[in-house]
Amino acid sequence: MYKIPAQNYPVIQQWISAGSRVLDLGCGDGTLLSALTREKQVEGIGVEISQDMIVQCIQKGICVYQADIDKDLSEWKDDSFDYVILNATLQAISKPYRVIEEMLRVGRYAIISVSNFGYLRNRVRVLAQGRVSSHTRLSSSWYDSPVIRFVSLKEFEASLAQMGIEVMDSRFFLPLDKVMRRKWPLYNLLAREGIFKLRKGTQE
Amino acid sequence: MNRIVKTHVLKVNRPFRLDSGDLLEHLDIAYETYGSLNDAKDNAILIEHALSGDAHAAFYHEGDKKPGWWDTMIGPGKGFDTDRYFIICSNVLGGCSGTTGPASINPATLKPYALRFPPITMRDMVESQRVLLSQLGIERLKCIAGGSMGGMQAMQFFCDYPSQVQSFISIASTMKHSAQQIAFNEVGRRAVMADPRWNGGNYYESVSPEAGLSVARMIGHITYLSEKMMQEKFGRIKKDKDARAIFRPSFEVEHYLDYQGISFVKRFDANSYLYITNAIDNFDLMASISSKERLRGEGRGRGRHFDELKTKRGLVISFSSDWLYPPSQAKEIVQLFTGLNVRVSYAEISTDHGHDAFLTDYVNQSDIIRSFLASFS
Repeated sequence: MYKIPAQNYPVIQQWISAGSRVLDLGCGDGTLLSALTREKQVEGIGVEISQDMIVQCIQKGICVYQADIDKDLSEWKDDSFDYVILNATLQAISKPYRVIEEMLRVGRYAIISVSNFGYLRNRVRVLAQGRVSSHTRLSSSWYDSPVIRFVSLKEFEASLAQMGIEVMDSRFFLPLDKVMRRKWPLYNLLAREGIFKLRKGTQE
Repeated sequence: MNRIVKTHVLKVNRPFRLDSGDLLEHLDIAYETYGSLNDAKDNAILIEHALSGDAHAAFYHEGDKKPGWWDTMIGPGKGFDTDRYFIICSNVLGGCSGTTGPASINPATLKPYALRFPPITMRDMVESQRVLLSQLGIERLKCIAGGSMGGMQAMQFFCDYPSQVQSFISIASTMKHSAQQIAFNEVGRRAVMADPRWNGGNYYESVSPEAGLSVARMIGHITYLSEKMMQEKFGRIKKDKDARAIFRPSFEVEHYLDYQGISFVKRFDANSYLYITNAIDNFDLMASISSKERLRGEGRGRGRHFDELKTKRGLVISFSSDWLYPPSQAKEIVQLFTGLNVRVSYAEISTDHGHDAFLTDYVNQSDIIRSFLASFS
């Protein structure tokens, strides 16, 4: 959906152990799954709604299911996967809480990337131009943009806490390809994007 | 490339054993082939036809204006590319287009079998195709593919002989009939049997039960189209506006069904219709492959041959408006094979064309199938 998430690939590859079972929700053209299959020998399955993308995945030899992740995750049995990935897709789903819960039902770990609406440039754009839609990197307008959820890193983390989900690891992406491991005070202002490795919290 | 073909008939003069335990003394198998087998003999693809199909899947018969039933999908540069693959299609066992079925002569009586023809199963159809393949010198298939009942055969073959097949493609199909699907078939069979000309199946020396069979086909055709497509195509348009002409086809849709029924009875045997729909209703892939009593297939009763499936590939395609074999049933197939560790992909094509989309919506299908076949060697 976005062009950038290639920067997430090294992080995701690092987080995923070799030979594991991976479900990639909104897998696009299958680039990430191809890389994971090649580098990490994962058994991967992609889920994608667009038919053009399905054809591209099949071309790459990726297993892919055409489905709407907002509706169709219930068919998977509990703990079918080691990792369930939602990369550059969270912004496009209509029921994020439900999808995140399903991810941690069908998989042991979830990996979710979040485009930060609290990022400085987005804030400036809203203030200076009075426009909210141009931050989607697709230059589409508000009415046809796939991005329907605007969330900041802080808000996302608060939701995880509310859902009782434990953050095992995270990375934050700054401009100029800088990657931060730790949270520092201004991360919600300076990070363009964050990525989180999650599991169900132990205390409920 | 020469696009003229003819149907060949393989005559097998040794007994052929059926799931029921019955033996057929003699077996004819009608088939066609397109493209050519490579030296490594690893480019063969078996195409399976649906209920009313035949061996003539593609190209033209001498003098014909209409090509085979899946010519949009099979040919040079098409989804099943005959420049790359050797395509085989045979008429199913129990059929009436050249392969042995209830209309064939029973060697014991020298009359048509009629209802003396033993019941057949999806596995029997598959076994007969293996006889053909071995005759053609083909030990391995790159793929086995089919729509509707063709998908059922493809999955049965794939599960029974995983070491012989690299991949399967199931289009607009299911791994078992639901109560509703059995019900539709039963109404079709009853229509045939209620026709007095059916005469307990013995009509070969008189007139065939055309009225009954055409009603069966009309019911079938309703299930092949979506409501939306029917409405767009026919709506409430009347061909015959004579108000006194009641109980005669007047609406366009009535004429359409009438035509479908009439053209079907010219080419199809009523008893074949009964036998084949019975095989479809009794098809239950899971039960059949996990049964310890099964007589044929690899690794019988031990489930060990499922290990063989791990390196195999599958492609499942459904159509959004297909209410005969809806996407929900395709997803069951996907879940079954994923559970068996087959590398399976699933595409749900958006269309208003209902079940018939597997014959008509060839552009999307071709893209998907071409990519799938090219993704492994």
